Amino acid sequence: MTAVWLIPALPLLGFVTLVVLGRKFGDPGAGIFAACMVGLSFLGTLGVFAHLLSLPHEERAISQTLFTWISSGSFKVSIGFLADPLSITMCLFITGIGALIHIYSVGYMKGDPKFSKFFVYLNLFVASMLLLVLGDNLLLTFLGWEGVGACSYLLISFWFTDPKNASAGKKAFVTNRVGDFGFMLATFLVWVTLGTVNYEQIRPLAPGLAAGTATAIALLFFLGATGKSAQLPLFVWLPDAMAGPTPVSALIHAATMVTAGVYLLTRLSPIMAEAGWANDVVAWVGALTALVAACAAIAQNDIKKVLAYSTVSQLGYMFLAVGTQSYVAAVFHMITHASFKALLFLGSGSVIHAMAHEQDMRKYGNLRKYLPITYATFMVGWLAIAGIPPLSGFWSKDEILAGVFNAKTFGNLALWVIGMAVALLTAFYMTRQVIMTFFGEEKWRHAEVDAHGHELHADEEDAVDDHDHHHLTPDHTPHESPISMTLPLVVLAGAAAVAGLLNLPFGDPLKFLEHWLEPTIVGEHELPPGWVQALLSLAAVAVAVIGILGARAVYFQKKVDPAKIEKPVFAHAWYIDETYAKFMGGPGETAFEDVAQFDQKIVDGAVNGIAGGTVGLGNRLKGLQTGLVRTYGLGMAIGAVALLAYVVTRIGG
Amino acid sequence: MRVEMFTFLLAGAICLGGALGVVLLKNPVHNALSLVATLFGVAVLFVNQGAYFLAAIQVIVYAGAIVILFLFVIMLLGVDRETDEGREPLVAQRPLAVATGLAILGLSLVALLSAGQRATGDKADLAPLNQPGPDINHLAEVLFTRYVYAFEITAVLLTVAVVGAVVLSKRTNEPLIDLDEFPEGTVVDVRRRADDAKAQDEVDADAEVVAVPDTEGDPQEGGDD
Amino acid sequence: MTAAVLQNVLASVGGLPSIEFSSVAPSIILALGGVLLLTVVSVTKDKLPVWFPAVWTISAAVAALCTVFRLWIRVGKWGNLSLISGAVGLDRFSLFVIGTLCVSVVMGALLLEGYLRREDLEGPEWYVLLLLAAAGGTTMAAANDLIVLFIGLEILSIAVYILSAMHRRRMSSLESGLKYFIHGAFASAFLLYGIAMVYGATGSTNLARISTFLADNVITQNGLMLGGIALMLVGFAFKVAAVPFHQWAPDVYQGAPTPVSAFMAAAVKTAAFAGMIRVFVLALGPTYRDEWRPMVLALAVLSLLVGSVMALVQTNVKRMLAYSSIGHAGFILVAVHSSTAMGTSAALFYLLSYTFMVMGSFGVVAVVGRKGDGHHQLSDYRGLGRIRPGLALAFTIFLLAQAGVPLTAGFLSKFYVIRSAIDSGDTALGVVAMLAAVIAAFLYLRVIVAMYFEGEPGDEVAPVKVPAAVSVAIGIALAGTLLLGIVPDPVTHAANEATAELVAPRR
Repeated sequence: MTAVWLIPALPLLGFVTLVVLGRKFGDPGAGIFAACMVGLSFLGTLGVFAHLLSLPHEERAISQTLFTWISSGSFKVSIGFLADPLSITMCLFITGIGALIHIYSVGYMKGDPKFSKFFVYLNLFVASMLLLVLGDNLLLTFLGWEGVGACSYLLISFWFTDPKNASAGKKAFVTNRVGDFGFMLATFLVWVTLGTVNYEQIRPLAPGLAAGTATAIALLFFLGATGKSAQLPLFVWLPDAMAGPTPVSALIHAATMVTAGVYLLTRLSPIMAEAGWANDVVAWVGALTALVAACAAIAQNDIKKVLAYSTVSQLGYMFLAVGTQSYVAAVFHMITHASFKALLFLGSGSVIHAMAHEQDMRKYGNLRKYLPITYATFMVGWLAIAGIPPLSGFWSKDEILAGVFNAKTFGNLALWVIGMAVALLTAFYMTRQVIMTFFGEEKWRHAEVDAHGHELHADEEDAVDDHDHHHLTPDHTPHESPISMTLPLVVLAGAAAVAGLLNLPFGDPLKFLEHWLEPTIVGEHELPPGWVQALLSLAAVAVAVIGILGARAVYFQKKVDPAKIEKPVFAHAWYIDETYAKFMGGPGETAFEDVAQFDQKIVDGAVNGIAGGTVGLGNRLKGLQTGLVRTYGLGMAIGAVALLAYVVTRIGG
Repeated sequence: MRVEMFTFLLAGAICLGGALGVVLLKNPVHNALSLVATLFGVAVLFVNQGAYFLAAIQVIVYAGAIVILFLFVIMLLGVDRETDEGREPLVAQRPLAVATGLAILGLSLVALLSAGQRATGDKADLAPLNQPGPDINHLAEVLFTRYVYAFEITAVLLTVAVVGAVVLSKRTNEPLIDLDEFPEGTVVDVRRRADDAKAQDEVDADAEVVAVPDTEGDPQEGGDD
Repeated sequence: MTAAVLQNVLASVGGLPSIEFSSVAPSIILALGGVLLLTVVSVTKDKLPVWFPAVWTISAAVAALCTVFRLWIRVGKWGNLSLISGAVGLDRFSLFVIGTLCVSVVMGALLLEGYLRREDLEGPEWYVLLLLAAAGGTTMAAANDLIVLFIGLEILSIAVYILSAMHRRRMSSLESGLKYFIHGAFASAFLLYGIAMVYGATGSTNLARISTFLADNVITQNGLMLGGIALMLVGFAFKVAAVPFHQWAPDVYQGAPTPVSAFMAAAVKTAAFAGMIRVFVLALGPTYRDEWRPMVLALAVLSLLVGSVMALVQTNVKRMLAYSSIGHAGFILVAVHSSTAMGTSAALFYLLSYTFMVMGSFGVVAVVGRKGDGHHQLSDYRGLGRIRPGLALAFTIFLLAQAGVPLTAGFLSKFYVIRSAIDSGDTALGVVAMLAAVIAAFLYLRVIVAMYFEGEPGDEVAPVKVPAAVSVAIGIALAGTLLLGIVPDPVTHAANEATAELVAPRR
């Protein structure tokens, strides 16, 4: 069972087939076919997983080279896959959750005019994501990295035919390019210093890196990761990305793609081990992102935006773990988060589906009566993310915080405090969401919902435009979603409940994940002694309960005016996005255009030597008659003068 | 020696004067005649160097044939009126152009003069040309040995030029299709000509209709087409 | 003149040169193909089928390509040669370039075939000029003498000036041809002036002799030499459209008939870079590299940045491609700047990849231009993904390749270029090149948005028809772009073998 290449090849085959035959398969044929492909890929992954398990501990890595791609001199890059515990773990949840979300989408996207196209993109995404994690070198990972970025961009813009609304996709693209530049530079540095980009070859060579180089490489890769995994300062695209269909948000913008940055740094743990203070930067950026995003989440009214900021915040946790060398905890949280966040997103999708595509939570309420399965599964997700034992989120978050507490990172106690604060906020905003959605009065029954108390964010209104417009009318009666949607919810709820079993802190034999991942990860961290851990866990549970009770007091018992908590500064996510937009010289999407304008005027004006010159058709044609020919000629002559002047300075030298 | 120097200065002055005339005079005919002066000056310089054959060719081919052809074209096309170059919409264009021109001249001079007496580092490849004997023989030697390939591929260059001249000078009556891509106020001449042509066509069409009164139906209808 | 005198003359010049026609077979086939086509067509007026000139042209190019393979093997056996009095250098470098030019002739002819039919233009002269232009390019690629190089350049340039102006019913085509001609003449004057100065300084126009002379002698008063280098660089920089000698390119690319723009972007650039490498890297590389490299560096950096940034703000797709071609010129200049064998092979790989990518891109543009060749605004691409999914996908791949996405030819060519820069110690230049690649990636974003996300069904200006010949050309380009990206080894191998060498002429 060494057909590792089959794992990404199956979704790729699905993609190619659907490109050609998608329309013929139609609705729901195309979706079922796509789901089958991902499902088969999941089975393949299971096979490889079983094979790896049968191998001795230290030999658990299958490297499979298909062919040599680039060979120039001593430098060789091959198209090859590396199946080791880390990549197979990733593959398991990518294909597993991926398959569930495919099934869910069959129900969710029913009747959409672009039904088959949706699955084309979704299959391509899964293939790219698998390539990202299975590639045995940085270039293949980069290829997958670009691939998932492109799919993400295409899927965010999926429902937009109006170019103005494609701005969310554009923002994702632009911020990701900034990150990609970091990735490229870092790959380049690795290649220059180590002479290889293959992971297995990097591993033994990494300890030989100079500390400065390793730090630079780590920081540049982290820049790449901040783009893809939505960390400060590049997180602004993720909340806007919720403009895409909800299954996309669940799969790409919560469970898989956004964790690519965490995967990358974990994969490069040999380099991170040499990178010194770069690890502190990673930990601090992660912690601050977690805090900023958690604050933002408590003031959102769009059900998906709460989850989006929550995702950013949870990703911050993972980077906090990476920065404190607790890679196992990071991967652990990645798995648990993938299951409960996918669950929450799909649950919210089910709610949105039932509520005529209304995403404003202020128009929900008492939905537990109408959506029993969604409600029950959502509860599991809520408790998991809030950190209530024995659900999965508690274990992974606890492990991260315990690691931070004992880490040698700069200011580790401050980091731990931030982590605890985020845990409190998480419990708070999730409870708020649950209460607003499933409890209380049926607010859509009122003719007009008072929207003036809260200032609606401009983008929020875009996001509300999800799918086609039905209006939520006061006499609307919500219905539970079809089985294709509820089945994945139930499965995911099961996973979210028990995923904590993967790595229980009660003694060494129960740390399955840690042993499993051990051969692939370089980096030491010590957990505090048992009794300290127990105290820390108690504190964490206490904090979670306080958060829940606090939210209950505010939103259920209405003891406090919500406006006192939902400050505009939170609703606007600390105005970071707005600041970027202002800095660029115009709001939102026009920022990009403005930069372009600037280039056009200044660069071209300078080159042509015309003050305030504008290019474009008009000028070009003016040139026809009065002859811009001579202006161009002048430009050439000035260039010639520059070159001549240069050589004249070299005379006699 | 002094005679050579005197000839050089005189011929050089003729060349430069002619060149300035080409650029500065406003009447195309005068421009072309100034070009003759320049080419003549170059011929004198050739004589001064003892390259009699080249001097003769210079006069016969360039001054005699090519510039005269220019003059024919100028006069046949009737563009031999003065052009108004007084207006220059781009403010910085002229001063910059003059400055750049002077800079190129100055820098080239610096590069050339810095070489002093030893401008040529090596005995030229064309050393055979300096041997005694008729220079036409020497020229032929070089042309058919060292530069034989260049000499032969020049034929291709000439073929391209001929094909191009024939293709581009072919008259076409088909209307221009992209005039409306050009904004108002540009390509005025072309527009006017296009309009004239259209008007002419309409006149022709009307004439045809009038000329064939026997056709059935209302003749006015045909005229509207 | 008596026989005795002739004997004397011959003795004085070392005998008549032997002309090994087989060594310039590709040039001869292309030139002869052009002239014969002209003859055949004029003799059998109006009796030949419409497809005849295109098939003829493609056959000539393929025949030339075959001789390239034969000569490749011959060079392998006998080593690099200098032939016809040292005017022609027969080495694998020139053969690689000639092969690339033949490929662009094949695709250019296919694009023209569809284009001329659609535009109701009369044909044979287009193909004649295409073949003659290619003959000029091949001459340049193999030139071992500055005069031969210059004449080759002029053959190529004049043919392309005329081709640019040949859409008689488009005013902008005439404008384009005229602009190209005036600027090109200006640049040629610089080049010629530079050649004269180098000749003055070294006493020869033969590249091998120049190289030997410079190696054996130190010119103490080097003003003349340096001036010559600078002016020759101006001439070459114009032909490859490097900043700041690039302003003509967007106007000319935009106005010229689209297949001609394609040929211009691919073949003219290829030939000009071949000439540039022969002169700068081979002849002047060993002795004067410290003098010319900083200038090329400046040109490269400016081209990379201006090309990438300006490409982004265009709304006309042809202009966009023109600016992106300026950026590509910047990349190849980076390879030239390294002045090593590695740089040369990187440049060769880049030129071949670029030929495929840009021919394919312009092929799509030619088709989307629709009848009249006037629909080149970004808005004309609205909904292309819906009405012509195949075409839109092909265009996306070409643009991705131009942006340098892995598994396309564009990625590897950029990779090799950056590698050559690093290898010669210019890490900073490599970083600038990467930055330019990142900026250039936005290019495809804009087109993809237009093709896939804009426009409602039914608001197309006119249907897009893809003629068979053009789809073949796009297919070839697509195959080339992907094959070079996925299994680049054979070509990489060939490019690595294709190092140029200046062999002194036998005398």
